[in-house]
Parts: sequence; C-alpha cells; structure tokens
Amino acid sequence: MLGLGLACFPSWVAANSGTDFFESKIRPLLVEHCYECHSGEKTKGGLSLDTRAGWQKGGHSGAVIVPGKPEESLLIKAVRYQDKELAMPPQKHGGKLSDPKITVLTEWVMQGAPDPRETLAKVGGMKAEEAKNWWAFRALPSPEAKPTSARIDAFLHQQLAAKPVKPAAAADPRTLIRRATYDLTGLPPTPEEVEAFVADRSPEAFAKVVERLLASPQYGVQWGRHWLDVVRYADTAGENTDRPLMHAWRYRNWVFDAFNRDLPYDDFVRWQIAGDIVNAEKADSERSAGIVATGYLAIARRFGHDIDKDMHLTFEDVIDNVGKNFLGLTTGCARCHDHKYDPITAQDYYALYGIFESTRFAFPGCEPKGQPRDMVPLIPTAQAEAMLKPWRERNAKAEAEQKRRAEIASAAQKTLGDAAGKRTRRLAGAQVGEGQSVAFATVAGAALKKITVRKGEILQLTVLPNANHGADSTLVEWNIRETGGAGRVWSVADLVQGLTQQNPHPGRDGAEWCFIEITPKGPVFLTEKGDSINGNSALKKWSLGDTPSVFVNSANQQVMVWTTLEAESFFVHPGPNRPVAVAWVSPLDGEVEIAGRVADVHPAKLDGVAFELHHIAAPDYGAALVSAGRSLRDKAAEIEPAPVIPVAYAVVESKVKNARFQLRGDPEKPGDEVPRRWLSILGGEVVPAEAGSGRRELGNWIAKSPIAARAMVNRIWQWHFGVGLVPSPNDLGARGEKPTHPELLDWLTSQFVASGYSVKAMHRLIMSSAAYQRASATPHTADPDNHLLAHFTRRRLTAEEMRDSLLTVSRQLDPTSAEAHPFPAEASWKFTQHNPFNAFYDTTKRSAYLMVQRQRRHPFLALFDGADPNASTAIRQTTTVPTQALYFINDPFFHAQAGAFAASLMKLPAEDARVVQAYRLLFQRTPTAAERERCQTFLATYPASPPEKWAAYARALLASNEFLHLD
Amino acid sequence: MKPTSIPRRHFLQSTVTGSLLFPGLVQQLLADSADPLAPKAPHFTVKAKHVIFLFMTGGVSHVDTFDPKPELGKGHGKEIKADHPEIKGRPGYERIYLKRPQWEFAKHGQCGTEVSGLFPHIATCVDDIAFVRSMHTSHSNHYNATLGMHTGSFAQSRPSIGSWMTYGLGTLNRNLPGFVVIAPKQTYAGTQVFASDFLPGAHQGTLVVPGAEPVANVAPRVPTARQQLELAALRQMNEEHLATREADPLLAARLRTFETAFGMQMAVPDAFELKQESDATLASYGLQRGQTTGFGWQCLAARRLIERGVRFVELIDTGSSGNWDAHGDMMSHVPLAKNVDQPIAALLRDLKQRGLLEDTLVVWTTEFGRTPFNNTADAKGREHHPWAFSSWLAGGGVKPGIVHGATDDIGLRAVEKPVHAHDFHATILHLMGLEHEKLTYRHAGLDFRLTGVEGANVVKEVLA
Repeated sequence: MLGLGLACFPSWVAANSGTDFFESKIRPLLVEHCYECHSGEKTKGGLSLDTRAGWQKGGHSGAVIVPGKPEESLLIKAVRYQDKELAMPPQKHGGKLSDPKITVLTEWVMQGAPDPRETLAKVGGMKAEEAKNWWAFRALPSPEAKPTSARIDAFLHQQLAAKPVKPAAAADPRTLIRRATYDLTGLPPTPEEVEAFVADRSPEAFAKVVERLLASPQYGVQWGRHWLDVVRYADTAGENTDRPLMHAWRYRNWVFDAFNRDLPYDDFVRWQIAGDIVNAEKADSERSAGIVATGYLAIARRFGHDIDKDMHLTFEDVIDNVGKNFLGLTTGCARCHDHKYDPITAQDYYALYGIFESTRFAFPGCEPKGQPRDMVPLIPTAQAEAMLKPWRERNAKAEAEQKRRAEIASAAQKTLGDAAGKRTRRLAGAQVGEGQSVAFATVAGAALKKITVRKGEILQLTVLPNANHGADSTLVEWNIRETGGAGRVWSVADLVQGLTQQNPHPGRDGAEWCFIEITPKGPVFLTEKGDSINGNSALKKWSLGDTPSVFVNSANQQVMVWTTLEAESFFVHPGPNRPVAVAWVSPLDGEVEIAGRVADVHPAKLDGVAFELHHIAAPDYGAALVSAGRSLRDKAAEIEPAPVIPVAYAVVESKVKNARFQLRGDPEKPGDEVPRRWLSILGGEVVPAEAGSGRRELGNWIAKSPIAARAMVNRIWQWHFGVGLVPSPNDLGARGEKPTHPELLDWLTSQFVASGYSVKAMHRLIMSSAAYQRASATPHTADPDNHLLAHFTRRRLTAEEMRDSLLTVSRQLDPTSAEAHPFPAEASWKFTQHNPFNAFYDTTKRSAYLMVQRQRRHPFLALFDGADPNASTAIRQTTTVPTQALYFINDPFFHAQAGAFAASLMKLPAEDARVVQAYRLLFQRTPTAAERERCQTFLATYPASPPEKWAAYARALLASNEFLHLD
Repeated sequence: MKPTSIPRRHFLQSTVTGSLLFPGLVQQLLADSADPLAPKAPHFTVKAKHVIFLFMTGGVSHVDTFDPKPELGKGHGKEIKADHPEIKGRPGYERIYLKRPQWEFAKHGQCGTEVSGLFPHIATCVDDIAFVRSMHTSHSNHYNATLGMHTGSFAQSRPSIGSWMTYGLGTLNRNLPGFVVIAPKQTYAGTQVFASDFLPGAHQGTLVVPGAEPVANVAPRVPTARQQLELAALRQMNEEHLATREADPLLAARLRTFETAFGMQMAVPDAFELKQESDATLASYGLQRGQTTGFGWQCLAARRLIERGVRFVELIDTGSSGNWDAHGDMMSHVPLAKNVDQPIAALLRDLKQRGLLEDTLVVWTTEFGRTPFNNTADAKGREHHPWAFSSWLAGGGVKPGIVHGATDDIGLRAVEKPVHAHDFHATILHLMGLEHEKLTYRHAGLDFRLTGVEGANVVKEVLA
C-alpha cells in the first residue's frame, strides 16, 4: 500500500512543471536544512515541513507560507534572518542559507508553493523520500574502463589527509607474503615461497604471488568458508533431535568450487536461490551443480519436534538470511510488523514468504515424522531409470521365487494345520475389552500352572480380532517357565532386541519362536520384515504386507505413533479375519508354567481383542513348522538393495501459491493473501502468472540490485581488511553503520559489476593497493578503529586458520577436499529429543571440513570464536579468554602437533639449523642471534630427553603471538 | 595502554599462589576495563552477588511436589475438558480425567508452607524459601521449554541467563570462569542452554562434567617446573613481539591469559577438591569421602565456586533421558527427588551457616509442570504441562517463608498472580541489581534482552 504511493510518484513529476520545480529545487533544500527539526515526529515550534498539510496548518507562530506572497510568509522572513527570534535555520544547525537558496524558496512561494506531498509517505520504518534516496539503494556510478588500485588509495587519501594520522610504510615482503597467503588460502606460506618472493625484485612480484594464490584450490576453501559463515552453514538440521544432514556437504563443496572457478557473483546468487531452474537446460555437470547450489535454501534451520508445524520459523530463517546475506537488510524483522527502521513492510515479508512456500525443501526427518525424504536426484530421470531397471528386473525374479516358495510352504502348513487340529488342546482364552488388560492368571489360573510338554511340541498364543476390523495394537507379555530342573525361562521380552533377525527366531536353549498368521488354510509365516515403522527405527516388525502383524518398540523409552508404545515392549496387531499367533517350540521334555497378559493398547472406540492359548501336543509338529518357516528364507530369493542414486539436500519447485499474511507473525491468524513479489522499495515487481514459485525472478532481482553488489563488495573488503567500508556488513539499513568511504564503496562496486561480477578481479584490485600493502600498527588515538586505513589492522588467526596451521607445520594436514561425514547410516537412526544426535569426527583435512552441529557446538570452534551455525556470522569475534590459553598449555591435539613438528625438526642434524627451520616455517624469517641463544639456553636447562626438550620448545613457538597473529 | 610488562615477580607470585583467591595479578586484571569479565557495578545496589541455578530436567510435577491440591484428590477420576496442547488431536486422548496427587502434603516450618512427602529435606528449609506456585511457560516440548527457561527464547538460540549475568556484572575471580554449568549429562537443546550466542564469547558457560577432569585442559600434561620453563620462554617471545608492536592491547591481553590459565590449573581443581571439607559437611550433602559424582557433589562444588567469586553456577540434575519426564509412572519421581532433596537442603543450610546465603540467590526450577489429568483415571503417569508449575527462590534479597501466586483448585492453570518464564527472569535479574529492560545488547541492528519483546514484570512480592 505504501509502495503504491512511491510507484505513483513519477507520474506527478511528469504531469506538473510546478511539481518538477519542487522536486528538483525545493524538496532537496527542505530535506537538507529543515527536516532535522521539522519532519516526522520532530515538529519544533509545532511545525512540520515534510508534508503540504504540515505547512498549511502552520506552527505555533501561525501561518508559515502564504502562497503567492513571499513577503507575508513567515518562512521567507525566517530564512532571510529578518527577525532575530525567527532566524532559521539557527546558527547551531548550519546557520543562514546561501542567497541562491533563499531566492529559490522565495520564487517557490511566489509561484503559489506547489507541493505534491499529499501525505507523509512511509515505507516500513523509513520515510519514503529518505528510503528512495538511501545510500545503499542508489544507482551505481559509471565504471572506469581501466580501473587501477591507485584510485582506491586516492579515495582513502581524501580522508586520511584531513587527519593527523600518518600512513604507515609499506610492509616488508616477509610480512606481506604471510598476510596475503593467509588471506587468500588460510595457510602459511612455505619457506621456499617466501624466499622466492623476497628475491623477486620485479614490479610484478606481488601480483605474481596473488595470481599463484588465486589459482590454488585452497583459495576456494578459505573464501568459501567466509561465505559459509554468512549463510550459517551446518551439518545438522537443528530441530529437536538435531539430525545429520547427510548430503549438505555437496553444497559446502559447491561453495568452495564456485570461488575457485570465480563463478560470477550474480550467477552465484542466482544459483543459490534458483539453480535448479536456471540451470535446468544446461549440460549435466552444470545442471547438477545448480541443484546442489540450492542447498543454500535447504540448510535453513528447522525447528521443534514436528518441523512441519514450525515451518513459519524456517521461512523466517530463510527470509532473514536472504536479506542479511545478499542484501544487507534485516528483512526478518518484518515478520510481525513493518520494519521499525528500514523501508521493508510486513507485506514485503509475506510476498517473499509465498515464494518459499511454493518451494519444496528437502526434508531432514524429525522424531514424529521419521527419516529424511525429498532429496533431489542429481542425475536425470532417464539415467536414474537406467540404473533402476536392471535392479527391478532382478528383483521381480526374486519376488516371483519368493511367492512360489510361499505357496509351497503354505500348502505344507495346511497339512500341518490339519494334523495339529486333532491334537490341539485349548488352555485358556478371554475377551480383552477396549483399552483393557487381561492377565492369564485371572482367566485360567490352575490350567497354566502345570503343563507337560515334550520336545517339539508347541505352545501358541493367538490374538484374534473381534467383530470389528480387528486392527488393534495389542501388548503381549508372555513368560514360559520350567517348573522343575533348571527353572529356565523363555519370554517374548527376549525378542524385543533383534526381533527381525529371523523367523523362525531361535530362542534360549534350542527353543524356537514362530510368528505366524492363522488363516483358514492353516498357519502362514510372516515373511516381510521391517526395520522401521513410520520412519521410526526403534520399531521393528514382521508382516505380510504393510501393516505390522508382530512388532516391538526396542527403544528404552516410550514411542508415540498411532498410539503410545511403552519402552522395550512386544506387540501383535491382528488384521481383519487374520488372527496373529506366536508359537513357542519346546526344547524340553518336562513341565512348564505360563504367565503373562494381553492388553489392548490402542483404545480406538472399537471392541478390543481376544486371545487363545493352545498346546499342540504333537512332538513332530514343531520341527515341521520350523522347517516350513526356514524354507521361506533363501538367499536366492533375497531382494538386493536398490542402487544408490546421487542426491542433494536441496529444493525444487512445489505447488505455486501466494502466502496469507500472518497477523503479528502468528500462522494461526491468517490475513489476506499477499501476491508473490519483490521488495517494494527495490521495485516491487510481481512474479508473473505463468512463472513458478518466483525463485528464478527473485534470484534475478537480487543479482541485479545495486545493494546486493554493494553488500558483497563490502564483504570482500572486510575479509581483506578486517573491517568493511560499512562496518555492519549484514545491515546496510538505517540501524547499520554508514559507509566510512561511500565514494570508494560505490566506485569499487561499479568496477565489480563491470568486471562481470568477478570476485577474483576484486582481490587483484584491492590487494594491489598501497593500503593493503601497508605495515600493521596499533591504531592512532585520532582513529582508534583504523577506519582511515592508515595501516593494516593486525588480527589473530581464525579458529580454522589456527588448526590448519598447526596441522601444516606438523605435516599432518591432508590438503585434499573432503566429502560426506561418517554419519551413522540412516536406517540405524533412533534419534529422539531425549537422545539427540551427537558426534565429533576428527579429521586431518582442512578445518572447513569439520562436522558442525547446530545443537552442540564443536568445542574447538566454539573456544576460538568460530561461526555461529544458527545465525549469520558477518564478523568473527576475537575473544581472549584464559580457557584458550589452557588449550595451548594442555590440549592433547596441540601437544600432538607440537610433538610431530619437533620430530620433523629433529631430522635436521644441527641444532642451530633446527631453530632456523622452525622460525622460517612459523614466522617467515630467520631467528636473531639472541633468539638462537635463548633457544640453546632453553634446551640446555629443560630437564628432559631431547625429543621432549624440542617438543617443549615447539609448544612455546606454536603458542606464541607471532605464530597466531597476522601483521 | 602502557607496554605490557607485568613484572616477573608477579608471574612467579601467580604461579606459586595460583590457588589463592585473589593473587596480585588478578587484582591487576580486575582493574583492566578492557577485560569483558571485569566486575561491573549493577544498575542498583542489591544484596545478591552470586546465583546458584538448580535446573531439574524433564518437567517436575507441581501437584506432587510444591503445589498442594486437595480438590484434585477429591475429584480423582472426574472427566474434564481442556484445550491442552499435549492432547490436541492425540489418539486416545479424546477424553481426560483428573488424576489425584500421589504424595501427601504437610505443613512445615514457622511459615507453614506445604510440601509433599517427595521432598522431606527441602521441607525443613521452607522458612528460607519463596515458592512461586503460579509459574507458566510458552511451550509444551522439552526442547523449546528448556531453551526458554534458559534463554527466554522458545525457538531460536539466544544468550543464556548466565551469560547475561556475566555480561551485566562481570565476575569476581579471574582464575575461574564466571559462569559454570555442572551437569553430568546434557539436557534438552544441548549446549545452547549455556551458550553466549551473540554476546562476546567470554560469557559462554564453562561446562563441568563431574569426574576426573571437570574442566577441559585443566590437568597439566607436563610437570609444573617444566611447564614454568615453557611459559617463561613463551612469555619472553611474546614480550619481544609486543615490544615492536606498540603494546597492542589484544596481544597484551593474550599474553596475560597464560598467567591466568596457569593459575586455573590449580584454582579449578582446588575448587572441585572436596578433601578439605569436614566429615560432617560431606555427610550433610550425602557424600562419601572421595566421591566425585552425584548431585551432592554438584551442590558442594557450587558452594565452593561461589565462595571463590564465580558469578553464576548452574546445576543440572540429569540429562535428556531418564529424567522427570514421568509419562509412564509418577513413581519415577521418587529416585529423582531423592537424588536432589538432601543435597539441596544441605546447600541451603551450608550457605546460611557460612553467611553466604545473604549474597547468594538460589533458584530452583524445571521447564514445565505435569498435567493434573490423564486419559484414563488410573493412568500412572502425567503429561507435559506448560500452563502451571512451581519454582522457588531463596537467599540474597528474597523474602523468605512465603508463597507467591496460585493455580486453580486442580492445578490446571496459574490463575493468581501468574509468573511467566520471562517474569521469572526479570525477577532474577532484579535480585542481582539488573534492570531487565536496561540489560541489552545490540545485535543485527536490534537491542536484544533476556526477557524478549513482549514485556515482563519483576515479581515484587518475592523481594525482601
């Protein structure tokens, strides 16, 4: 609605020359000189000058403008300083206006004071005209054909020259190559690289180093890790069980690869929002890379127990991150109400919401909804089909074979059934009412106390459906105890773990358990096993068809599915007209007693179940039943697992729909439908009717907006210098900080766009500036934050740089890229909110490949200010706490790296050579005479064996500020 | 900032006297305003300087512990209706019936506050306690409610209450972390419950797992004499490095952390070494000599930590399984109550005897209560219940021997003077001299606070 006012604006300008005059001359003048005290909520002297109605109403001193009559207008008198009391603007707010400005104002009043400002237009939390002119939204200046870094220095010099701060000298080459190597790769330079650079006196020496580093695959890991900070990358979903994201690594590696290949930034944006769409028609590798790139959206944090119920929070997380990450705007703030400071409305929020709601996000699984699904295949359907077809054919044969054997077995069982019928004795039986529990003892006390069995005879518990459809979950507790002899006990409780190993299922001391259905044709073995039910792998089942007939909850806690299943319990589930039986084949000749109960645990307003206990007193029957069951299990008839189709944790298009507005951000209070469109302040284009979700369009809108390019250029600057030209990189709005060098930011951004959005071109430009190559220093008091960049800002290594450096000097680092984490196989997952996923995986690969969990922080990354896996980290903090020092004193990993480093030094025979080598590796310089001497003294006084002495010395070197900081 | 050099004498002093509470070096650090953990003045003067936050994992039943409901007993088996989040659309829960409390309540102390038979020891301390019987919270899942009780946020990660506390007040002993969490297992929501989130990392809770090495990397890996040689060599390197870098305060600060860390190797084990405690003290906490686990150990360690100047100590009784989550059988409350009852009473008495209760705020809470109903009259357990539960406060600045607020006759709803988790937080901050609306941190362009945006009220009635 407010966007409309803006959109209409140009038509007024065109329609009216008076308005034109106002817009070109008067509005800027009022904004510059009067608004500070007379606009919005500020109405000094009761006067508003930001709407026509404002001056028409006048202030405490009466009418301010009499149209056509400047001499009678207080405004003119005030700006002419005719009246001391009324002199405006006052001295402390800039003082008297220049004569031309007074003339322009007089002329305007003379013309009748044409003023198109009907109402005070606001967009979100910002006045419309302020928003329109907000620095970050403005069009970019024209780029230069041949930009040079001298322009960067010239821009910086403008401010530097005005302050009493002298620029530092150029850094020495050893410092510079160390700085550049860490900056671009996150690793230290080798001594050979250092010496080659020091020896290279050519003017292009540093440019050659930069090119070499940009060509290294380690570059993508370092700069890709910066990006992963901003997109709050993690390897788990963050919902209540914090499930592993098995395939998220592909997105992580895609980011690294995108930096290495210098994928143009506008495409980098488009692919992450809609790579599945924009690359749909491209060659296979680009097509699958496009899908993987949308992992950016899929890795959004999931919330709660049933994540589908909290998807509004996941969409908020997406909208928040898309805003901060790509645009430097806190769009997430507009969920419950219009943004309080920036020109973003709640309507804007739900316009974007609809785009993501029309997108299917890969589902990571959650406790009540089971295992992951909706992964996106990375090969075309035809190719996947080609892989699946031979497998299906082989399977069809196996299935046919299974069926054939089942028929044979079933015929055999009928024979058995007939035989058994004659020798079967009913021991007990009862109705079990709705939700009731019936103990065996209460229906047949004495009959179950003493049963004489012979080896091979059978005791069988059958649970029958009543008149209804029969589908009731029935808890069974059943113990068979030998009353004489060894007093052995057999129990269905023994079957809770390992139920699905086999059927017939071997029991203690040679007993066998058989899980069968009782049909009019006789007993039929349950041949289909399932290692999960509804995606819950604590539940295991035997069935014929989908519905479980015999099943267990193997977890040590209750599970809520269609009903509540108590921990570690055994259940049967009779089907319609299909009683289910559990048969125990006796291994002994002797006497047993039976105890237990049957309980209907799914009270569903039906009529409960019934049970029967039988003794089949035929010793050959057991063996026959068992062998009939075994004949069904044959390797030749086993179904082989499906071939693995590569998939990504990514998104695809879904059913297209506009979102409903949510009152105060509450999804249970839906308001009107909001059309899917772009942010109103950036144009408000609507997703065309024939388009899909609108992600393709959104990717384009972001990629082409000047604020997105500014945001990225600002980040590149920040990742080089430590502080951005805008010090709040995730907030270029009203609450963020203003650019310290706005012209420089605009100039760089226009060059970025002109270069075809080449990030590497930005590195070359920025790193060749004198500002980048200055020595570091401690900030001058006149510029405590070093905004002027008079020198380079010293910094500590990041957590990843530290760990990778330790692994480098200890020669343990494996520089190759990693793929999937060694997560447990999906089929084995039993994660619940009571037992969430929790793991640490050690690796000698680069630290960017460490597995990062959302619910439990990686201890090393948490200790050294690693990125927050739950929210966009625009700037790494640098905290300095004693627990970090404890790491360098006692941590086993640190000690191990120091030991390995010392061992490698000791391969050099001469002690002095070892010291020199250590300094060259760690500090890119040779030790001073004093340092060599001190090392000798240390080694001489340290009371331990030589390897221990050197390890101790290595620890001191590796814990030093010089090793862990960049000048 | 002056160049670095802490005189060598100081270094030696701190190495030798690392176990003292306030070695000279620490004093020097305390004077350093750049230290994020340097003590800060509260917004207004109060008695309490430390917090011991006792968190019971899983949801303690209020109607079986601190909220007597005779009417619930009388109405046992009566069907009721409730639009309750835990039963909505849940099969088998179409009808619900009142379930009587399983334990008898009796009046205790001079104040006569009623406590159930589950907590016979805490019952003897009621004259020091302010019970809040009208607690309520915003979520019925463990994860969300646990996160909410710790951070004020029921979905997103936010800084923990302990982090807010050291952010607002700093800490008093830099040889020990300012915010310590002692937990044998992780509760719901993992490390998020003691994370500093967007607050500076110095405010992160330090996890102590009862056992041999309670804090990571505290146990020296080389003998002290050798370690001193290494640290002296390191110090020399760092000082030379610093000398050519205009005494960069960050480099200087890092140099100093090694002094503190060295001291922590002694101060931390010393804090957790219960050898010096008398037999009578150990017995009062229910501890055997030499025992290093159990809630009694956690409670006694908490006293020793606050004695040594630690600002905020949280004790979590157990992990995200096998806890108070008594769906199956309320009798599972028995061993859990037994685990904490005597140690908590001993802690309160011990603090009082030593005069520490005056400046220590003790908080007891859980994430939510349990339903006064279930789907059959003779169900043994109770379900999650965010509408009402009980918490309590004792010590510094708390009005002792009172009961604040009330639930309805059956303990279903907090009806009288309800106290939301946010109000509870505002009250805790107030008792520590912090105004919850003033204690803010600018993050992503917004001023965040522990008590969220909806507004919260300090419960004035529990203030002494």
